[in-house]
Amino acid sequence: MRKTVLLLNIGIFAVFVLSLRLGDQPIPYSQIIGVLTGDPDAAVAAQLIVLEVRLPRAILALLVGMALAVAGAIIQTVMRNPLAEPGLLGINSGGALAALILIVYFRNESAHLVPWAAFAGAFVMAAAIYGFSWRSGASPVRIILIGIGLGSMAGAGASFISAFGEIAVVQQAQVWLAGSVYNAGWDKVQVLAIWLVLPFVLTMAASRELDLLSFSEMSARSLGQRVEIARAVLILLCTMISGAAVAAAGLIGFIGLISPHVARRFVGHSHHRMVPVAALVGGFLVLTADLIGRTVMAPAQLPAGIVTAILGAPFFAFLLWERRYVRS
Amino acid sequence: MAAFALRLVGLLTLTLMVIVISVWALTIGSSDIGIGGVVEALSGAGDERQFLVVTTVRLPRILAALLAGASLAVAGAIMQAVTANPLASPGLLGINAGAAFAVVASLILFDPAPTAVYVWYAFVGAASAAFIVYMLASSGVGGATPLKLALSGVILSVFLGSVTSSILIFDKTTLDNVRLWSVGSLSGRPMSSVVAVSPYIGLGIVAALAFSRQVATLSLGAEVARSIGQNITQWRLTCGVVVVMLAGSAVAMAGPIGFVGLVVPHMVRLAIGTDYRWILPFCAVAGALLVILADNLLRYALPARDIPVGVTMAIIGAPLFVFLARYRIGNAR
Repeated sequence: MRKTVLLLNIGIFAVFVLSLRLGDQPIPYSQIIGVLTGDPDAAVAAQLIVLEVRLPRAILALLVGMALAVAGAIIQTVMRNPLAEPGLLGINSGGALAALILIVYFRNESAHLVPWAAFAGAFVMAAAIYGFSWRSGASPVRIILIGIGLGSMAGAGASFISAFGEIAVVQQAQVWLAGSVYNAGWDKVQVLAIWLVLPFVLTMAASRELDLLSFSEMSARSLGQRVEIARAVLILLCTMISGAAVAAAGLIGFIGLISPHVARRFVGHSHHRMVPVAALVGGFLVLTADLIGRTVMAPAQLPAGIVTAILGAPFFAFLLWERRYVRS
Repeated sequence: MAAFALRLVGLLTLTLMVIVISVWALTIGSSDIGIGGVVEALSGAGDERQFLVVTTVRLPRILAALLAGASLAVAGAIMQAVTANPLASPGLLGINAGAAFAVVASLILFDPAPTAVYVWYAFVGAASAAFIVYMLASSGVGGATPLKLALSGVILSVFLGSVTSSILIFDKTTLDNVRLWSVGSLSGRPMSSVVAVSPYIGLGIVAALAFSRQVATLSLGAEVARSIGQNITQWRLTCGVVVVMLAGSAVAMAGPIGFVGLVVPHMVRLAIGTDYRWILPFCAVAGALLVILADNLLRYALPARDIPVGVTMAIIGAPLFVFLARYRIGNAR
């Protein structure tokens, strides 16, 4: 555990420094250190680029990755399905649709309001998926299929709004929707960080409940867990976390799927270890994806969401292939 | 015999509705041309402007809607029969995405070609996507279960969609050309591209109708089909070729329109039962009807906005998908 965390932190640090350095205008390390230590002699341009553009962007990417990973870890355990992910289940599309409605129709882009809309959308979506798939118990198969269906409906709704809305607003929204930390600013970082503190703490506090839920429902119950309440609270936490992540960076897929799997390989299934490690993995992945996306075809910028999909989809296919002898 | 007559009457009624709606659709549009003007234009008697509007803008759009609807619905019905899976359809299983990706890639890699050329890329893309998704989903125990098929289809679609959009971000001119097309749209189709794909669609539908007896046998399941003496491998392969031809041509012409191939066969089955000798012709007509209705009702109600028909179909089709998943799937867990 300690070694894994150390390795991940070193990895994150390395990519973080690289994302401060690389870009249209590379900035040498000496200047970065100068800017960060508040050296008054540092070049103004370097100060502006590092402090106002690259630093908030890197921190936002890190936070979004952590949020998506934790949300994925929760939903995989609650649904007891290793293929579940807030993006795949349409929870994120619900959040995105609500945020899009707020931005396009109410012309409100305030960093404080959008997370609420996204949270509301994600919550309604999660409730709808759970409600529609409930027929004397919610079978995981139905949850996934209904999630895919409702998700594509929310996606179509988003296209509908894009077709109607004013083109300038829509264009702005589209960049955000594609899953990008492109217009990161300190206000977004601040809001996301504040939003995430409480759910993260609660998730860590609930790690024992998560452990219990990952057993069969019967054993959880016989060990004294009130399964329905625990499940509902955890789904609420998950929608809060992924709503905030969607509000900050749009639809970045597959992080919630991959990170918990990687974390489980490293530190096993126990949630009080797995969740924090998954968060680190998620942060590392989004940070890396954003760095790749904005440098590999510069000056064109690939949204991080596209990079994660290109890398994540094959991973998902691999999981599907590996689990081919498992009866669902 | 009564059932036969009833079905025949139903089929003829639907066909009549398609014709009536197509004629009505010819009168919808930003320039005000009534039914008389349409008749004049088609017979070549009207003035120049009317003639141009009707034959180069409206007629291709309507033909594209009819062809795309019929071919996607028939392709979906065949897929559902062959895979014995109520969620199989060209959109869901990544075939549309594969064809779309191949077309976009060809537009970038080579010079712009007429539709007659890139329909072949669409075929290759559709066939490869179908192969990959089916391989991935049918490996392991239980074969191609609905869950595994849907998941691998979604994954392949997301992956190809992302690669496509990263190509498009790189290349602004192509983006402008394919933006509307890539969500499935019937607007601005030139007559030439409709003409280019119609032989393949015609051949595919004729083949589907001719083989409808074999499709019906396949739909009973592998054991039954084999015990009746059907060469399963051969007919599965034939059905695959027909599906790829139909879906590939529809995508090359109108972009990936989802849910037609899923929704129409289910509606038809609800109405007339499980005999594929009837389902296939009904699907061809009902698919054409659904797409032309979805496209033109919106055009009529909201004349100022051009909503891609792919979006409309998703809004109609997704609730049905949810309904199916709730009541038809997962009882067996």
